[in-house]
Amino acid sequence: MEGVLARQSFLGENSPEILGGTAALIAGLGGGGSHVAQQLAHLGLGNFIFIDPDKIEFPNLNRTVGATYEDALVGTPKVEVAARLVRSINPSARIKAIVGTWQENIRTVRGADVVFGCIEGFAAKVELERVCRAALTPLIDIGMDVHRARPYSISGQVVLSMPGCPCFICMGHVRETDCAIEEQRYGHAGGTPQVVWSNGALASTAVGVMVQLLTPWSDVTVASFLGYDGDLSTISPDSRYVNRRIGECPHFNSTSAYGDPFFA
Amino acid sequence: MRIHFKIQRALYDAIHADLRRRHEFAEERLGFLLCRPALTETGGLIVAYKFLSTPDDMYVPDGKFGCVFNSEAMRRAMQAALSLNVSIFHVHVHEHVGEPWFSRTDLKESAEFVPNFWNVRPALPHGTLVFSLNRMAGLCWWPGHDHPQRFQKLSIIGSPIQITQEATWKAF
Repeated sequence: MEGVLARQSFLGENSPEILGGTAALIAGLGGGGSHVAQQLAHLGLGNFIFIDPDKIEFPNLNRTVGATYEDALVGTPKVEVAARLVRSINPSARIKAIVGTWQENIRTVRGADVVFGCIEGFAAKVELERVCRAALTPLIDIGMDVHRARPYSISGQVVLSMPGCPCFICMGHVRETDCAIEEQRYGHAGGTPQVVWSNGALASTAVGVMVQLLTPWSDVTVASFLGYDGDLSTISPDSRYVNRRIGECPHFNSTSAYGDPFFA
Repeated sequence: MRIHFKIQRALYDAIHADLRRRHEFAEERLGFLLCRPALTETGGLIVAYKFLSTPDDMYVPDGKFGCVFNSEAMRRAMQAALSLNVSIFHVHVHEHVGEPWFSRTDLKESAEFVPNFWNVRPALPHGTLVFSLNRMAGLCWWPGHDHPQRFQKLSIIGSPIQITQEATWKAF
């Protein structure tokens, strides 16, 4: 990547080494995850772990960066599309592409320096957060939704779950009732509504959060909960978080929340 | 076996603050870090959980070594390992900037007392850490391995994240 990163030298003299030595895991290589993968490749990230059980289908082509008509025709695994995309930008990147679920690859998840959660479902987000917290791994979750209003309304969020800081439940990102009713909330716009520009906005913001954690370009504290208003095209600190009084997170403060709880 | 050590920034700073306090007669302070292990695809992960500071009255005057703790300090650490099902890592600070490493005496003493933690938690890894003013290093006695393994990667998780890893480190 020599010379390629010259225009981002403001990230620090040793930023190429930091980014080159970092291992990022992306869980879910669809509309959000594929954007994240592409941007990390341009940034000069050195190590990629992609996990997704799905193959490209025609309905994915409206938003999955790198996916082609041919991929949909033959059913190329999403992780292979992402790997191909990254290699086309940085041939020396190390890539582990897993066709499967992250739950089946917990040991691999623990090896990541940062995890991007690009998965659907509140229960799954909470489950992934638990694994990341146990390994002291920052988790950056992105998600978008389309609701019935005016007649449709697009919203989303980028949420950083940082070890030692408020968790998804503390921040109000996930409520216990969400897990129970999530199936009913989705699908108002036909299938699970997703569009490329919203995914791109959220993914770009998530990548910025990661860079600010690894090679900060300013002394501004990384925002933990950014809300996306797709109707107004704005991203700002989410009121659900800003208006909360959050003390010490009570959900990850026991020994069983650290390491592998089954390690004897 | 590749072993990665991770600690939160707030805990790391708290340990520094504790260990750099002056003691009446001990030339340096020490403490015990309670950790939980996990397996990764390429080896092991040690996750720091809580620091056990050594009270002033548990240091013993000693003309030969700069810092000696009494049997009660060791008993407290072993009790924590037993009660909380945690790995124990002895910690001390070398007052310099840059990559720290253990003195010959540190290595000799560690080799004698660290395996004692297996008497209470034989299935868990235990070890020792040395902090400098801005870096850290460590050795880990992993169950089933005859010799201690050097941490090949150490991460301080905060803003910013600080990662120190050997050039040969591979996440997968």
